[in-house]
Amino acid sequence: MFRKILVANRGEIALRVMNTCREMGIPTVAVYSDADQKALHTLCADEAVYLGKSDPAASYLNIEKIVSAAIDTGSEAIHPGYGFLAENADFAERCEQEGLVFIGPPSRVIRDLGDKTVARRIMRKAGVPVIPGMNYAEPDPGILAREAQKIRYPVLIKAAAGGGGKGMRIVTTEKDMAAACAEARSEAAAAFGNDSIYLEKFLERPRHIEFQILADTHGNVVHLLERECSIQRRHQKIIEESPSPAMTPELRAEMGRTAVDAAMASGYVNAGTVEFLVDNDGKYCFLEVNTRLQVEHPVTEMITGIDIVRQQVQIAAGNPLTLGQEDIMGRGHALECRIYGEDPENDFFPCPGKILFMKEPAGPGVRNDCGVYSGFDVPVEYDPILSKLIVCAENRKLAVTRMINALRQYVILGIKTPVPLLIDLLASEPFERGETFTDFMATHFSNWEQGSREADLACMAYVIDEICGKRQTKAIPYSEISAITPWQTLGNWRL
Amino acid sequence: MEYRLKIGRDTIPVDVEVEEGPGINMVIRGKTFGVRYSMLSENQIHMLVSGNGMTRQVNAYVADGPDGKIVMMNGIPYLVSDLDVQRQRAIKGEVRDIPEQVTPPTPAVVVRILVKEEERVEKGQGVIVVSAMKMETTLRAPFTGQVKKINVAVNDKVTPGQIMVDIEKDKVSE
Repeated sequence: MFRKILVANRGEIALRVMNTCREMGIPTVAVYSDADQKALHTLCADEAVYLGKSDPAASYLNIEKIVSAAIDTGSEAIHPGYGFLAENADFAERCEQEGLVFIGPPSRVIRDLGDKTVARRIMRKAGVPVIPGMNYAEPDPGILAREAQKIRYPVLIKAAAGGGGKGMRIVTTEKDMAAACAEARSEAAAAFGNDSIYLEKFLERPRHIEFQILADTHGNVVHLLERECSIQRRHQKIIEESPSPAMTPELRAEMGRTAVDAAMASGYVNAGTVEFLVDNDGKYCFLEVNTRLQVEHPVTEMITGIDIVRQQVQIAAGNPLTLGQEDIMGRGHALECRIYGEDPENDFFPCPGKILFMKEPAGPGVRNDCGVYSGFDVPVEYDPILSKLIVCAENRKLAVTRMINALRQYVILGIKTPVPLLIDLLASEPFERGETFTDFMATHFSNWEQGSREADLACMAYVIDEICGKRQTKAIPYSEISAITPWQTLGNWRL
Repeated sequence: MEYRLKIGRDTIPVDVEVEEGPGINMVIRGKTFGVRYSMLSENQIHMLVSGNGMTRQVNAYVADGPDGKIVMMNGIPYLVSDLDVQRQRAIKGEVRDIPEQVTPPTPAVVVRILVKEEERVEKGQGVIVVSAMKMETTLRAPFTGQVKKINVAVNDKVTPGQIMVDIEKDKVSE
């Protein structure tokens, strides 16, 4: 097994990976930028290496610096997390050349599947159904407009190197094409360093269902059931669950087999995700393969009991899978809510800033993968994810109740988060009925405003806080927060 | 002691009577409450609220916000501000009334400027593209008019309230 692993990422995912490494007895190395000098991942690793300025190009996207950090610290493997270099074939290739093990697929596979147009060609050849659209990239808005006419509006401009909703625009009429192309290309260039775009038919009301797969270097491939990720805003998922409310055992078996076929067709190794769009009749189309650990992987971990990061490390070390398809079973129902620093009343605009106070939820079946703390300044330079709240319970109904209860316990002061929106969303009838299509937010929550049911109590708290005088302006150190209990402070009560 | 507190669009009158010890009485929107409280930490208030013949325990979390305090209970944050304090500040000129100018909703970086000085813009037309946390957003003209001045350049870091583009409103347009 590896003597040391460098985690080339930040925030909650870096901490998530380090947790498993620690359980496996493998020391970890963190890397960090100026903005992350006091980030939790920097503080919690066995070692931390400074990369440079906060700009991702000077830090988390800088291949030279990360490779040097790995070599200098004697790391034998690099876990890329998600985002940043996770799906960068050049980085994986560089690791291969330097004799460092990249914990993910071979660079060739990342390169093939990372170009969405190449991936579409591979899948078509393997007999996997794909969404109607182009199989090559095209920069000319005029030509794109002609292609759009062929597949008919509405169409979706997608970045060939895309992922995470970046560089994606829905276009409904020809006159918006040029502007949308420019925006998509600029966003794609900033996010991926590659501005290639192409078109796919925009499907109006599909479900987004994906299969987690594991493939070892010995030719074994299994799937770890599905996740439904239909509830999205700005093409980014905010709630994921497993099993999908729309799944039948027959469809699961068929799609699972297709996912395994897709992995084999591309020569896949390590953990990956095959994404599909599914219509109301259970007809499904290949969307893309994510060649990384997914943000929402904990949902699968919660229902299967399998630690996916441990599997990734084992596979990267060349060990064969010890799990057969028949060993993999789901139990109960898991949900994940992504807690971003963003304003749910203002088009989910990112909302960085200082977290003045925070209290994480806890309880049976509750997991919070969190990368921030009270006093941490959430940097403007990176993705605004703060934490992922995951719950598991016997069935969907109980899981929803458990999630609402956990969200109500969550306290984050200082920056805006979607917590109040998530509570309303989970309690809504369409969600309860499992009517989770990708247009869910636009249909049911487009002009959502927070309620004010307990405004009177908020006024009381305001007045009491005012009476009690000025609070110290300095942030409370993380270490002091959880230590305060009523037993220490009840002394001044009089009843 | 009287307060006029604002939460969202509501103005809520609060009449406070401070008693000896940790209890106070409050009349909020005509309803009377007795409240015993304890500050568990700088940000954590425990309240025992009596009213309508019922008593309930409430844990509220409080921090100072931009125009008041943020109070969070049961997953819902309330931005509570004191109208009288706001008015005092406005008189002293501390709070600048932001007219309908183009300003970013959060700290961001200017990516593209889509208009030129002296150019005419339609209401809703894209004026400036900003990026925060890798996400691009187009800020649009709040009304039809003429661009008088562009106060920022590409790659500038900008903050809410900062006026990025001055647009002179057409007199006839509204």
